[in-house]
Amino acid sequence: MLLPTARQDKLVRATDLDALSCKVCASTKGYFGEKDRFLAPLVASYKSNLQFCDGYTALSAERTLRAAFSTAKFPLINRGTFLRTRALDMVVDRFVLEQKKCQVLALGGGSDTRAFRVLEKYSQVKYMEVDFPELVKIKKLAILKLEILQAAVGANEGIDLIEVTSKEELRDMYSDFVTERYALVGFDLRLCSKGDKAQAAAAFLFLDPSLPTLIISECVLCYLSPGDFVGVLRFFGDFLEHPSLILFDPMSLGDGFGHSMVSNLSNRGIDLQTFQTFPTLESRQALLEEQLGFSAYLTDMAAVGGFSVPDLNWLSQEEVQRISSLEMMDEVEEITLMLRHYSLIYGEKNQRAHFPEELQWKLQPKYK
Amino acid sequence: MDLDTDVPMEDAVEDVQPTNTESQNLSKKHAVAESSYGQLDQWIEKLSQCEPLSEADVKKLCDLAIDILQCEENVQPVQVPVTICGDVHGQFHDLMELFKIGGPCPDTNYLFMGDYVDRGYYSVETVSYLVCMKVRYPNRITILRGNHESRQITQVYGFYDECLRKYGSATVWKLFTDLFDYFPITALVDNKIFCLHGGLSPMIETIDQVRELNRIQEVPHEGPMCDLLWSDPDDRGGWGISPRGAGFTFGQDISEQFNHTNDLSLIARAHQLVMEGYSWSHQESVVTIFSAPNYCYRCGNQAAIMEVDENHQRQFLQYDPSVRPGEPTVTRKTPDYFL
Repeated sequence: MLLPTARQDKLVRATDLDALSCKVCASTKGYFGEKDRFLAPLVASYKSNLQFCDGYTALSAERTLRAAFSTAKFPLINRGTFLRTRALDMVVDRFVLEQKKCQVLALGGGSDTRAFRVLEKYSQVKYMEVDFPELVKIKKLAILKLEILQAAVGANEGIDLIEVTSKEELRDMYSDFVTERYALVGFDLRLCSKGDKAQAAAAFLFLDPSLPTLIISECVLCYLSPGDFVGVLRFFGDFLEHPSLILFDPMSLGDGFGHSMVSNLSNRGIDLQTFQTFPTLESRQALLEEQLGFSAYLTDMAAVGGFSVPDLNWLSQEEVQRISSLEMMDEVEEITLMLRHYSLIYGEKNQRAHFPEELQWKLQPKYK
Repeated sequence: MDLDTDVPMEDAVEDVQPTNTESQNLSKKHAVAESSYGQLDQWIEKLSQCEPLSEADVKKLCDLAIDILQCEENVQPVQVPVTICGDVHGQFHDLMELFKIGGPCPDTNYLFMGDYVDRGYYSVETVSYLVCMKVRYPNRITILRGNHESRQITQVYGFYDECLRKYGSATVWKLFTDLFDYFPITALVDNKIFCLHGGLSPMIETIDQVRELNRIQEVPHEGPMCDLLWSDPDDRGGWGISPRGAGFTFGQDISEQFNHTNDLSLIARAHQLVMEGYSWSHQESVVTIFSAPNYCYRCGNQAAIMEVDENHQRQFLQYDPSVRPGEPTVTRKTPDYFL
């Protein structure tokens, strides 16, 4: 049996499978144009190794994987998954193109494949991913097994293939994997807020604190306590000289959908801690600008996807036409409602990028 | 089957005097249904416990239902008083709540405007129950076709998978989707309230044009029958492209013209999630009614039904999701979110 806090962590880690299975489904349906060829190796690594993770048996791992990958997702989930991936890609691309020499730090990215795409596309970028050690190990095992992933992260030849065959081997395995341009580090983000700051900083030695840095958090900070949420952002705000943030998180808006989401996810054992503490774009703007000293541009995913009035959508007409033709979507009100409950926020401190001005936001920085 | 549409169907079971062989066949069929009342009551009892019928019983039920539904009209006449309901979407326990709020059938007359299946976890029980009620009380309940009563849509949104899961094969799905072809597509309450699932069509100006359609087929991808099941009212005037990929959006000018041409007081329709369970559009020429509370166990909305009394007075009854003490919530899959 796991301790209650360990169980909580396991359930939060399991959300990585939700995100991965959504991406696999959207990719299969053609939402990303070309198929995302980095997804399959990560799914394969989960299939081999989830059984050795904390709190799983061979049977429960198989059941979990079957539930995640065997059923197709509804069109609204595919569309939302596409929008979230596309919107973050747009910010990352623009940031990298404007800053040229810069770094990206993905918090809790789990099985996300953006690192591989960015490293392949932009040779001047350094990319660091930090997550629970167990998730990092699953990704590392995928990299060690596959040349396309090694090539993407710039790994030298002659990497030793590690096969894990028991819980003990996974537990004892060294989690981190570092190349010149890429670092995959197992680290509990809560230590940035609660632990010794110098010790936490040591986990991020791969980064050059003087370089412009984009921190990505995609449904990660929402699982932290409000105190840790603020603590983690404050830590990076102090540690990096020119930090930028792109945050994608659910928000409650204090309405019926928000209440249902809290009770549905708590049935699954997931506590959306910041969801209600910062329930609106306005409260998130106040947090970032007044408490943390960032300038913040904010919108919600309904606006990004063209489901709001006035139209603040981020996609070109051709792109809207392309994705609309993939699947019939009889869930227009529902997707609008759901996407309104996801905030997308770009924040920056000690720097002024131009690219946010070219994107459409619902709220502009109060203090530029 | 080429029926004389002037035969008053609403009286067919009890006391119609057959005037030709078609009608004799008709009352013979209804006599068959009558002889099945005991059976039907047993099925209704079983279903009201949320237990699905056997495959063989579904077959019998669908045969009985086809006999009744094929005699109904494209624009099925309905008398007041009647309680008009919107989407149910397999939320069986909330349907039971609806009958508690609105009063039991057959004491209360009901008109359902489609979308019985998909999305919720009990599409099989929900549609079986409503079809049983239809066969048992054909003059007391009217069930229209929604855009989800279709072979194509049910394969995306859950009914097909649910049938496979509950019966181990697609037979029951086939039986029901074949039956859906016979559902009437619109109803006319006392010649004043035009009821349908979606909305208007640029190819339909008069109700008589609806009567001329051949409805007994799969919901087409385009054309008037598709539009009636897919369109939505919109704040913008005129006709617009629907974001759903089927049907159109129509403005206040279109609704007002249609109501004027056909001497209607109101268009009642369902199809769209509305947070209060009902919503007026086009200066009260169109009302949307949605009867699935906390739609998909996720949306947090109220549901509503609309009572229309003998004097055409309207009253909305709103309700929240039913409490389901008997249901093990832990085994229920959490609805998807972006996590």
